[in-house]
Amino acid sequence: MSLYEILGTLETGFIFGLVALGAYLTFRILDFPDLTVEGSFPLGAAVAAALIVSGGWNAWPATAAAGVIGFVAGFMTAFLNVRFNILHILAGILMAISLYSINLRIMSGPNEPLLGVDTVFTDLEVFGYPSYIVNPIFLGIAVVIFKLLLDAFLTTGWGISMRAAGSNPAMAQANSVNVGNMKLFGVGLANALTAVAGALFAQSFGAADVYMGIGVIIVGLASVIVGMSILPSGTIFLATLACLFGAILYRLAVALALNADFLGLQASDVQLVTAVLVAIALVAQQSGSSFMQVLKRRLGK
Amino acid sequence: MIELSKIFVTFNKGTPLETRALRGVDLSVPEGQFLTVIGSNGAGKSTALNVIAGIAKVETGNVCVGGDDITDWPIHRRARFLSRVFQDPKMGTCEDLSILENFALAHGRTKPRGFRFAVSRDMRGQAAERLKVLGLGLENRLDDKVGLLSGGQRQAVSLLMAATGDSKVLLLDEHTAALDPKTAEFVLDLTRQIVGELKLTAVMVTHSMAQALHTGERTVMFHRGRIVFDAAGAERDALEVGDLMELFKREQGEELADDSLLLG
Repeated sequence: MSLYEILGTLETGFIFGLVALGAYLTFRILDFPDLTVEGSFPLGAAVAAALIVSGGWNAWPATAAAGVIGFVAGFMTAFLNVRFNILHILAGILMAISLYSINLRIMSGPNEPLLGVDTVFTDLEVFGYPSYIVNPIFLGIAVVIFKLLLDAFLTTGWGISMRAAGSNPAMAQANSVNVGNMKLFGVGLANALTAVAGALFAQSFGAADVYMGIGVIIVGLASVIVGMSILPSGTIFLATLACLFGAILYRLAVALALNADFLGLQASDVQLVTAVLVAIALVAQQSGSSFMQVLKRRLGK
Repeated sequence: MIELSKIFVTFNKGTPLETRALRGVDLSVPEGQFLTVIGSNGAGKSTALNVIAGIAKVETGNVCVGGDDITDWPIHRRARFLSRVFQDPKMGTCEDLSILENFALAHGRTKPRGFRFAVSRDMRGQAAERLKVLGLGLENRLDDKVGLLSGGQRQAVSLLMAATGDSKVLLLDEHTAALDPKTAEFVLDLTRQIVGELKLTAVMVTHSMAQALHTGERTVMFHRGRIVFDAAGAERDALEVGDLMELFKREQGEELADDSLLLG
């Protein structure tokens, strides 16, 4: 792999780090497997692209608006679950397929190119470095800020209520936590992060596409699983850090697999590679020990 | 403090599994009273406690606590002044949170929770002070995850948590049943101490007749969804476990007699 490719992988890895933080919030903190992200990732892209191209918005508020709309999407999924007792997975699927149609409406078509318009990355040109260097640095800083904000949130009164609501709902209720509200807010927040990731991805990639959400759920989950099975995750700080590293490692693994000539894989095999990686990570987790422990034992022999 | 009037609870209504768990229960617990509740399996004692806590929905009847009719209140709203300790030590505390965060969560029960950091320096000091009373050395492990503690330790922590904030009512659902005898005695002593110090109104469901008679100041017995026995004061002081057993058998015997009448 060339430096150019590695930096490109990092850029995507950081963007998917936001998706991983969202997946951590839903899967690990709230115990709410949320499939909405398949729709909210392209939703964020579509909203940002439409606002920038058709609305003539500045890219920064457009990206923020994508986050707000993403929150609404997640909130509605949780609402279907909390108020109408629809199974969480089914609620997510319903939301995701309806977002497919909504995204087509927002962009008035299956895609919206972002060529020749100012994006958040255009503003970074003032630093005078080529975009393939400055973009990953900017995204790295941004995702770390989001991570630290999430860490801080999870130690607030609301934050610990949310953690209790996911880990022991009966106990949370007995301590006056409104478990339903925690789900509404938490799933909303996770989808806000995902939609911001989608908005940034579209601006980095140069277009928003209605199909770009396919497999996002697995990428987010893969990042969380890979990260947490390799790295220590005893505290919130370490766990979210592990998710970010997981996102980058996952991207690197996919890039390496696609680059390895002897495997003979091509770009369209990416979903298959993802599925295999996730399956491997899940199997490794099931054995009750982390990759590192297994490795140490093997090396010790 | 707690008023149950004409409570009827039926589970699985309209199915072959229909169970009439409570059949017209009236119970009044004055402020500051420590009530113990006994009864055989399926007698309705836990259901009565769940009716107060809001977990079991009443079919008819009213639940009032502290003058408010709370029959239609959700569980989390009732929790502002009702605190609970569960039978399963794993249930009363959140294992993924540290001891201190568990305290912070309990603290937020009566005070609104915000976006401020949950754990303050004050709270750390308070929690350490209260844990020290247990003599289990937990005051030095404030940042440990609760999942690392033993069942007895967790139950002691849940009890302290239940007494944080300004709760008025303590509901104990066989909270010593899952512990070994020595730990059970320790937790029970702690319960008496906390209820006495904070002058709480407490309802304790138990399987142990000795525990029921030697704890608190009033005992009621449930049988087939009704209260069949209610003793306090001198009458209760004169009771022995044997008497209670007698009573228990007589109730069951009467039930048999009823059945035989029906069959005859």
